[in-house]
This record gives sequence, C-alpha cells and structure tokens, in this order.
Amino acid sequence: MINSIDQYLDSLKTELKGCDSATIQDALSDAEEHLRTAIEKGLEESDKVVEADILSNVIEKYGSPDEIANAYRDIEDRIKPAFARNQVSSNKSVLSRFFGIFADAGAWGSLIYMIFALVTGIIYFTWAVTGISIGMSMIILIIGIPIIILFLYSVRGLSFIEGRIVEALLGERMPRRARFTDKNVKLWDRIKELFTDRSTWSGILYLVLQLPLGIIYFSLMITLIATSIASIFAPIMYLIWDIPIIQTGNMEYYLPNWLLPLMTIAGFLLLTITMHIAKFIGKIHGKYAKALLVSE
Amino acid sequence: MENENIADKKFQKEINSGTAALVLLSTLNNSLDQMYGYQIAKQLEEGTDEIPMIKQGALYPVLRSLESSGLLKSLVEPSVSGPPRKYYEITDNGKETLVRWSDIWEQTKMFVDSILEGGKND
Repeated sequence: MINSIDQYLDSLKTELKGCDSATIQDALSDAEEHLRTAIEKGLEESDKVVEADILSNVIEKYGSPDEIANAYRDIEDRIKPAFARNQVSSNKSVLSRFFGIFADAGAWGSLIYMIFALVTGIIYFTWAVTGISIGMSMIILIIGIPIIILFLYSVRGLSFIEGRIVEALLGERMPRRARFTDKNVKLWDRIKELFTDRSTWSGILYLVLQLPLGIIYFSLMITLIATSIASIFAPIMYLIWDIPIIQTGNMEYYLPNWLLPLMTIAGFLLLTITMHIAKFIGKIHGKYAKALLVSE
Repeated sequence: MENENIADKKFQKEINSGTAALVLLSTLNNSLDQMYGYQIAKQLEEGTDEIPMIKQGALYPVLRSLESSGLLKSLVEPSVSGPPRKYYEITDNGKETLVRWSDIWEQTKMFVDSILEGGKND
C-alpha cells in the first residue's frame, strides 16, 4: 500500500530500473507534478484534510508504478534526441560511410559543441572557482555557509543547462526538466540532500574540468580545420595569385606542380577525418557528461 | 476470468497506443490556452462518464513523444505551490497532422464498424 507521494516515486523508480537515467528522471518529475497537483486540487475540493485519504484515489487514476513504468518503457524507444545518430546501414560501402560524415548532423553538432566548449568552459570554470573560493574563505564568518548553499544550487542549474546543450548538440539523452525541491521537505533536509547528492559534487568537477577540456577541444578542432582548409586552398591560391605555399620572412617555399593536386586532396581527407574525430570525441563527451551531471 | 482480464487489458493497451496520441492532439487543438498534464487528464475525465480507458499517468510519455516529433511544444513554468508545470501547446505541424490522423481514424472506424456489423447480420 502506498501512503505517500515519495513512496510512490520510490516504487516507480524501482520499476524503471534498467531504463535510461534521463527517462527515469522525466518519469519521476511527470509523476510528481501530476500527483502533487491532483492532491492539491483534491484538498481544495473536498473537506478531507489528510493527504493519504485522497492519495489512493489519485494513484488509482494515475496508474500503478508498474503500469506507468511500462508506459515509459514502451515509448522510450520512440523518443530520440534531436541529433541522435541514425544507425548507419551496413549495406553502404566503407567509402560512402567515410565521406558520408559531412551529411551527418551528429558530427556537425559535435564540431559546434567542441568549438563552443571553450566559451562555456571559461564561464563554468570562473563561476565554480569564484563560488568555491568566496564560499570557503567566508566560512570563517557565518555568511560563508549561505554563500556555499546558493553556489551549490547554481551548480545544479548550470548542470541542467549544460545537459540541454549536450543533448541538443551531442545527441546524448539528458534530463529534460530541472529538478525541483519539494515544499513539504524541511529546509534542513533539503540542504542536507544538496550536500549528500553525488551529482552536486561531480557537477562542480565537471564545471572545473570543462575549461581544460574546452581548451583542448577548441585548439584541436581549430588546428585541424585550419590545416585542412589551408591545404585545400593553398595550391589554388598559388595557381591563381602566385602566393607561395609557405612563406617565412623572406623565404618562400613552393611545391612542384605535380604535388599541388595531391595537397588539395590531402587537405580534403584531413577535413573528413576531422569530422570523424569530432563525432567520436562528441560521443565520449556525451557519456562523460551524463556520468557526472545526472544523478542516479 | 483472470486470463480474460489480462487479454482485455492487453487489447485495450494496444488500441490506446495509437488513439491516445490522437486524443491528446485533438484536446490541445480545441483548447485556447496551453495546458499542463493534470488539466488535460482532468478534461478527458470530465468529457466522459465511462471509466477512462487510459491511465492518466500513461498520457505523459505520449505527450513527450508528441513533443519530440514536433507536433507539440512545451514550456515549463513555476507554479505557486509545488513543482513547476510543463505546459503543452499544439504546433502548426501538429494541426496539420491532426487533420490527417482524424481522416485515418474515420476510415478505420468505418472499416471496423462495417466488419463488426456485417458479422452480426450473418
């Protein structure tokens, strides 16, 4: 017998075991939104004052945890993130799969993410380091404690936003709604939950690590793209405007004519490989973001 | 008896998997305002005297799937009390789809009815 919303949610969570963690979080927030609203309306309409009296009726209409878990399971396969990678059909040749990367929205998404990661990395890092150092140093005075608490809440918010970016660009399924705190839970318990939740701390780690990662991603991508584009166009520039392939100081370097088309081809190959690298790193980063940002 | 019950439930579930999407689209199309899950469930409950065919909780995954197909769009807003609510609204694409799906539904209904009635007359 289920006596409280929390009990229902726990039971739903158990039933959903094995599903994608983002689906679980969605299912739980849907259920919580519905049950709380239903009970609130129920309390307004009837003269009953006890939540538990209305609850069994509400759950009867909403569906038992196992029914609801099945409903989410059934539909989970149909919900695909925006940039979810299409399965490459195996009948395509290796060559078309290799060059087909340019038509792969997921690879472009990863590429944009990796370049963008420098900007978000700087913001996250600054915020995390400022928050920690101000909070920690102020702890000597009492005001450090509320600062740390507010900072930890902001980490949750940032984790959620980063999750949305990751899902949109990297195609990794992330929670679609922010978590909320229950009004009935005492302030002290809420704060305790904030401190004991693993994802709060791993979230800070993610925010800090995003700067070095962002720098690596950004430099890697810019270098690879610049090198590829330069290789593609340098021979053309040479043929049309007589601009040397490499120029340092007064020295000008030229390639023999037969090498020029090869250089363009090599540049194009490098660009294609760059797209594959972007897609690969994007995939790994998606998994890594999910591990650190989503609480189990 | 128990077996019949399970078979009935399974049949109902199979039918629901298609009709729920149509019902939700139509409900949101008729509504002037954005609606959140509980409102939709309540409206469906009031619209019929029968026992509702689908559990309210099973509407939410369908809403999500319609949203991810671009037929609905949503907005999360904080509520005065309790958790924030997710408000759904039909998109233009959803409206066009609804017209097509209604036609399919009409055809299916006529077909099934004609078969069922034909069976009775024999």
